[in-house]
Amino acid sequence: MTTRITITAATIVGAGQPLDAQALARACNTEIDWVAQAVEAGILQAEGDAPAAWRFHSVDLRSALEARRLQRDFGVELEAAALILDLGREVRRLRARLHAHGLGLG
Amino acid sequence: MEFKDYYSTLGVERTASEDEIRKAYRRLARKYHPDVSKEADAEVRMRDVNEAYEVLHDKEKRAAYDGLAERVARGGGAGPQGGFQPPPGWDEGFEFHHAGSPGDEAGFSDFFSSLFGAAQRRGAARRQYRARGDDQHAAIEIPLGMALQGGVREITLRALQPDAQGHPAWTTRTLEVTIPAGVHPGQYIRLAGQGQPGHGGGESGDLFLEVRIQPHPLYRAEGRDIYMTLPVTPAEAALGAQVRVPTPAGGVVDVAVPAQARNGLKLRLKERGFPGSPPGHLYLLVDVVLPPADTEAARKAYADFARALPFNPRSHLGV
Repeated sequence: MTTRITITAATIVGAGQPLDAQALARACNTEIDWVAQAVEAGILQAEGDAPAAWRFHSVDLRSALEARRLQRDFGVELEAAALILDLGREVRRLRARLHAHGLGLG
Repeated sequence: MEFKDYYSTLGVERTASEDEIRKAYRRLARKYHPDVSKEADAEVRMRDVNEAYEVLHDKEKRAAYDGLAERVARGGGAGPQGGFQPPPGWDEGFEFHHAGSPGDEAGFSDFFSSLFGAAQRRGAARRQYRARGDDQHAAIEIPLGMALQGGVREITLRALQPDAQGHPAWTTRTLEVTIPAGVHPGQYIRLAGQGQPGHGGGESGDLFLEVRIQPHPLYRAEGRDIYMTLPVTPAEAALGAQVRVPTPAGGVVDVAVPAQARNGLKLRLKERGFPGSPPGHLYLLVDVVLPPADTEAARKAYADFARALPFNPRSHLGV
């Protein structure tokens, strides 16, 4: 059976349409407490002062999904996950820079 | 559809302990991690390894899978076209739960979906309480022009859903997604209500699409910035020139190449990258291209040039 659906309500997760803490937790199949811990560990950069006012962008969603995966697969603490994510981001940034300059990794 | 041997995927014996399975998975997850792997098919292998681990590290799934494997070994599970088809009631007595992130199962095989996807949904459907459906994740690859200017992109999602008789049946949803202008790689597009259906009258979850940009023959994206190689002649590089340059948004601009431009010089066209706050820039990387010395006239011109402008680019080597 095939269904055809036209979507008009597509929004970029970002400045105009950020995620609140509950939506971010739901998108990562976790709880708001985990989001608070990830903010504390520096994995997520929350905009806003109080948890109820926190807003998150695409980069936070990606970080949260990756951190959850690292915790599940390797049993790492959040602080270690934060370091691994930082290193991974740096690798990707440098690779993108090489690619942008037309250089491969050989 | 073929029966998948998850033990072989992880390289462990059927009698492997939980600890041995975990260690095998972690070793392979490191080997095929997209940020470190040099293997050409790392992404596919990583997906296979994730799928195998999703089943074998979960006691209920593993027990059900082992029981199914035994039935298959005895000749059960033959489908009408000779492939594998799960025999009726293979998962009786088990209720599977998905404990990972919603994006974890994106891209898992039809084999996995036919076993555990339908079973998880049946379990969820049996719940009496009202609950929102799970969010779903997928990736979408779009051309650079569409990312900058917006457009409509179709994506097709397959899922096993119980039919009117409660039997699992493949359903295909084709979504015509209006891509908002200004989306850049790594961002997520959220489609409200297009995730898993809710239970007991609960609302559907959302679908999150991770944006990837298709390779472009001229432009390369880096975050919000876009890079392009700008070929120039030796004369243009030495003397400076006005050159015409196409922009990713579709226009053409005149760019001043400064005199004595060297290879790799980076020229910035402000705010002509991806929109945002702050917006990205378009960077032009100067590439001095030598005219080919493939005719007698060209070789003479090079020789005349060398006589007229003698210099030694290797003087600093001291030889």
